Amino acid sequence: MTIGGPGAVGPGVNAVSTSLDAPVALSTRPGFAEVASEQLDAVYRYLVFLTGDRVAAEDLAAETFEKAFRSWRRFDPRRGTPRTWLCRIARTVAIDWFRAETRRRRREETYARELAVAGDAVFGEGLSAPLEQALRELSPAEREVVALRVLLELDGPSAARVLGISQTACSTRLSRALRRLEERIGDVRE
Amino acid sequence: MSASDVIGTERLEALLRGDAPRTQEESARGALLSELRAAMLHAPETLRERVLATAPAPRRLSLRLPSRRLALVAVPAALGLAVAAALVHGLTGPGGQTVQDRVAAAPAVVGAKAQPSTVFRAATGSGAAVPSAPSSLQAQVAPPVGSGGRLQHTEASLQVRVPDVGRLSAATSAATRIATSLGGYAQSVVYRTPQSGGGASYIELRVPAQNVRAALAKLAALGSLVSQQVSVQDLQHDFAVESAQIAQLRRTVAALQKALHNPALPEAQRVLLQIKLAESKRALAQRLHARTGTVASGTTARISLVLSTEKSIVPVVHHRGRLGRMLHSAVGFLGLEGTIVLYALIVAGPLALAVALVWGLARLRRRRDERRLLTA
Repeated sequence: MTIGGPGAVGPGVNAVSTSLDAPVALSTRPGFAEVASEQLDAVYRYLVFLTGDRVAAEDLAAETFEKAFRSWRRFDPRRGTPRTWLCRIARTVAIDWFRAETRRRRREETYARELAVAGDAVFGEGLSAPLEQALRELSPAEREVVALRVLLELDGPSAARVLGISQTACSTRLSRALRRLEERIGDVRE
Repeated sequence: MSASDVIGTERLEALLRGDAPRTQEESARGALLSELRAAMLHAPETLRERVLATAPAPRRLSLRLPSRRLALVAVPAALGLAVAAALVHGLTGPGGQTVQDRVAAAPAVVGAKAQPSTVFRAATGSGAAVPSAPSSLQAQVAPPVGSGGRLQHTEASLQVRVPDVGRLSAATSAATRIATSLGGYAQSVVYRTPQSGGGASYIELRVPAQNVRAALAKLAALGSLVSQQVSVQDLQHDFAVESAQIAQLRRTVAALQKALHNPALPEAQRVLLQIKLAESKRALAQRLHARTGTVASGTTARISLVLSTEKSIVPVVHHRGRLGRMLHSAVGFLGLEGTIVLYALIVAGPLALAVALVWGLARLRRRRDERRLLTA
């Protein structure tokens, strides 16, 4: 199976995708390069919202796709979409990063890497300043559920599967996060 | 009142799907969702190039099945292997050979006088009962013992089933009478009739070798013959060796005695010869005793008889064909495999449970750790 045109992906990717698709023999299964190209933005946005740090999100996104490539043969399209599968990998990578950050902060006893200073657009260009500020004040878990349900438009069961919680808990978390966002925006505007 | 108080989960889901807001709170929530979705946030080109171009080198292809599919293949394969092993065992094991085959094969071995020791066995260990004598099978079973003029030691063990305890007592008495009437005797009799029912007697008989055949036939007629085992050991060679040694020792003793009668024999030499004479006489006595034992062993057969009323003895199914015996053996082998698997499960079960518990606790801890990290 050939993925895209000659300029669509790197020089070695077509060959890689061909070798990966061969043993699986699923007619509906896309190639890895195709999936990576389509889902990169979504995974990156999810990681930006989760970490609140674009630089870290870039590194984590790269690591996510590297891990995804290694376990691509285990991906079963019948059990979920590529986006859901990639988000689960991204979440694992991000949690490792959070652990490392926590250890680093404990060691240094200071916040060496703080969230971007006020005024910088972290969560996307075009967001109002109050919304940007309100997003910063949410916890990573709250931003995460907003990213999955609103930005990435995952349905309830898929988002719950990524988060490892029940669908009800996922809906509750989303509702609470949006309510807090509205409250924070109101506070900032006042 | 906050918006979440009036916007339920269903309405929130509807707003996420793009439905039109119905209330002012829903309009505000919808606007928030729209603003979040409208924000432009794309992965940098450097990241895109990094992801697509720095993919690891292709690895060698391997036929790897998902774990569930692997289980779907492995479990039937293991079952098939177990059944195949059982069938092979049924084909090649004792189930594929008839009792008559064994009976027919055994006398040829016993009859070969060059064999120092042979064992003749009929319907042993199978718990199969043979109909009461006189029957043609029992006539075939009796081996040609105590014949041919050679010294042979015979040992036989019989298991005979009687219908009830009353017959058990009568059969026990009859067994001792049989031994006595044939010139032998009962060395020991153990008679047991427990309160739980049934009973058994264990009788050790000594019978002259020439009457073994008759004794076996009569003893088998006391009830239903369940099993019979006859062992014949040729003692002719031992007897010949011992006789030759005795003759040699006798010659030595005679020579030493003759030498001691010589009056010119020096005293020191005499003492030495006297010592040698004493040793030779002692060795001669030992050899004579051993030969007496050999002769006694060859002229008297030992018969162990077990009379039993136990109901666990299963009557033999004479009409079972080769296929039936093969299947019976295969089923037995499968039962053995099942027992082994059960033992393995009993041993590995607690270990697997402990591993599962540890895994579950670790998972729980990891979840809690993640929640703590992300809600900080």
